[in-house]
Amino acid sequence: MAVAHVPPSGTWYGATLKEWILTTDHKKVGMLYFITSLIFFIVAGLFGLIIRFEQSAPGIQLPGMFGQEGADLYNYVLTGHGAVMLLWWAVTVWTGGFANFLVPLMIGARDVAFPRLNAFSYWSFFGASLLVLLTLIPNNWIKMLWTGYAPYSMNDNAGPTSLYVLIVLLYSVSSTAGSVNMITTIVSMRAKGMGWTKLNLFVHAIMAASLIQLFGVPSLMGSVILLFTDKYLGTNFYNPMLGGDPLLYQHLLWFYSHPVVYVMILPAFGVFSEVISTMSRKPIFGYISMALAIYAIAFVGFETWVHHMFVSGVPDWLRVLFSYTTLFVAVPTGIKIFNWVATLHKASIRYNTPMLFTFGGILMFLIGGLTGIPNAMVSIDIGISDSLFIVGHFHYVLGMALTFGAFSGIYYWYPKVTGRMFSEGLGKLSFWLMLVGANIMFFFQMYMGMAEGMPRRYPDYPPIPEWVQLMQIQTVGALIMSVGILLSFINWFRSLKGPKAPDNPWGSPSLEWSMTTTPVGPNNFKKHPVEVPDDWHPYAYYKGYHTHI
Amino acid sequence: MRNLLSLLLLVGTAMAKEDIFAYPRVYWENSVTVWFWVAVAIYIIVAVPSIYFMVKYRYRPKENEEGAHIEGNTAIEIVWTVIPTIIVLFLGTYSFANFVKQRNAPEGALEIKVTAFMWGWEFEYPNGKKVYTFFNQVADPEKNIYLMPEKVDDSAKAYIPAGKPIKVYCTSRDVIHSFFVHEARVTEDCVPGRITKLWFQFNKPGEYWVFCREYCGTWHSRMASVLKVVSEDEFNEWLGGQEAQQTAPANEPAQTVQQ
Repeated sequence: MAVAHVPPSGTWYGATLKEWILTTDHKKVGMLYFITSLIFFIVAGLFGLIIRFEQSAPGIQLPGMFGQEGADLYNYVLTGHGAVMLLWWAVTVWTGGFANFLVPLMIGARDVAFPRLNAFSYWSFFGASLLVLLTLIPNNWIKMLWTGYAPYSMNDNAGPTSLYVLIVLLYSVSSTAGSVNMITTIVSMRAKGMGWTKLNLFVHAIMAASLIQLFGVPSLMGSVILLFTDKYLGTNFYNPMLGGDPLLYQHLLWFYSHPVVYVMILPAFGVFSEVISTMSRKPIFGYISMALAIYAIAFVGFETWVHHMFVSGVPDWLRVLFSYTTLFVAVPTGIKIFNWVATLHKASIRYNTPMLFTFGGILMFLIGGLTGIPNAMVSIDIGISDSLFIVGHFHYVLGMALTFGAFSGIYYWYPKVTGRMFSEGLGKLSFWLMLVGANIMFFFQMYMGMAEGMPRRYPDYPPIPEWVQLMQIQTVGALIMSVGILLSFINWFRSLKGPKAPDNPWGSPSLEWSMTTTPVGPNNFKKHPVEVPDDWHPYAYYKGYHTHI
Repeated sequence: MRNLLSLLLLVGTAMAKEDIFAYPRVYWENSVTVWFWVAVAIYIIVAVPSIYFMVKYRYRPKENEEGAHIEGNTAIEIVWTVIPTIIVLFLGTYSFANFVKQRNAPEGALEIKVTAFMWGWEFEYPNGKKVYTFFNQVADPEKNIYLMPEKVDDSAKAYIPAGKPIKVYCTSRDVIHSFFVHEARVTEDCVPGRITKLWFQFNKPGEYWVFCREYCGTWHSRMASVLKVVSEDEFNEWLGGQEAQQTAPANEPAQTVQQ
């Protein structure tokens, strides 16, 4: 057990730059992840706005430069938006930022199981981030999209394949180290008296997400290593001219890249559960089934990858089989949504910023989940595969449910991390702008894919009047949403000098609120080992519990 | 607006038999209709109670200070596990039934070969006649944007007989493309080294787009072609019996990486 270096100042963040760089403390590592993740979120969001402006009118508006076409720049921006939003924001904000900061606090541990491995996983992630920044150099544009389908990714048109492969490999190293760390921490470092049924649902979600990472990432690493050897060393895994099979790459990629969407969304479910229970002053409805549903989603998520390949030339019987398995994901997901709604029954709901973001996230996830059904129904998918409907659907679940969950979590734990309270008014305004803007944008995106059949990844399209109109409506929505996100960032920065927060502003019995100081002390808890009473439960809200609302 | 109206019509009424505009679009529309109403029903069943609870059980000082102590309810948990399972089995089976019709071409289909390359299409008819389409044939050279199909020169269009099923065999010369018949709502990837198939049928003469739907590089968005659906007699006249002259390729397809 490595002893984390404790700064003399007493608070966990009051440390010198050297201590920040050499730290093994889970809170500092979590914050490093978090800050990196937010920076890349802003960059990828700006990329998204470039995409929206380009699509607002037919023809290529982006300038060609450095011997590249405007369409090349568009494809690079699309690649950047996809890969960075998925890996640097949607995955890392949970498995890196939230999990590192919160899991040891929630289970009553002093630190994660392998503090130095934790630091290593951050710094390999940091290395991958630097490599991503290298792609901004004009002749380094990766234009193969985040999926990097072979054989296109072996083509010289696609940009530097080796850079893409190295980025993915470094990221995979970081993911694997992080997930091993989290699984070990949760299994072996829980407080005395804390059984599996007394864990926060967020911890269960991180556990499931880490298991998915552990089993899935090797498949992704394999796919990109084979791609690398194919392009540079003359092997023929994917080259059909010499007996390879392009579909092999898709199978290997989606075997990881479908489960990874559950890595992204399960922790968001965990945050929804925490926030709903706390703000309703009521235990979560059906705790056991909620926890089992998380693991069921993680398990079934591995049996559905072919739905990304319904039109890729796989045999028809396989498409039907995976159509059924994909639809079955709806069952545990439905259980979770019903349980959240049931939690609201006879509750006492406080409407503050985290709660609003959680409501928004759940209602948006409901739409996102229901529009996921046609992607799973193979007869519909034949007509909408690779259309804007798909883009609209996954932006509903990732761009809205996940981002709302992350923002909800940031607002909810903001006092615990910084010791200050954020501004409620600004937070609520930000929520409403984000909700309205994102709905305008992604609803019309889905409508465009379903009713108009507009293909994905098109900077240029025929000047059909309805298409132009719908694209411009989406751009307006995107701008409204951007203002909302900007307001949240302003809020977090301004509130660093805000009013001091009490130890337990929401009155939650969960360990990270009820047993630690605000901000968290250097050793997390006043006394180790932490013990929890027999009748304790993270969601045990009982009458007379002190609240500060 | 035309599309909006057709969508409203689509979800409102089942289409009459003689109004069928294209196959397999009609099966796709049936599936979409079923999904749409199921989704709307589920959304209402979940969203209405949740919004009602949000309003009714909001925090009111001195009246509603604490939530009730309810841990769960096994009976209702079982109900909302079993019913969704039945719903997804129904949806899966319904889509399976339509999928069989969407994938299997009827007897007597006209078979054509489609070869995709970066970035254009080659159509080959049974008598050996070939049609090539590149972007510069479907675009306005001055503004460098797409033309609408009716302004495109006929030499770049693949003629298709109306009212006859067309079975397409697709393959690709370099990277993965996807042959998407826009108004028929059917797509299938063209994979190098494999032959994939799809079928479609238009009953109404007109001109319809073909797009590429699998990302394939710089001009992925300009890899379009036009299908000109004409009456059977006109099609036979266009096809002719002899070797047809080919439209010359306007730009060279890109080289694939070869070791």
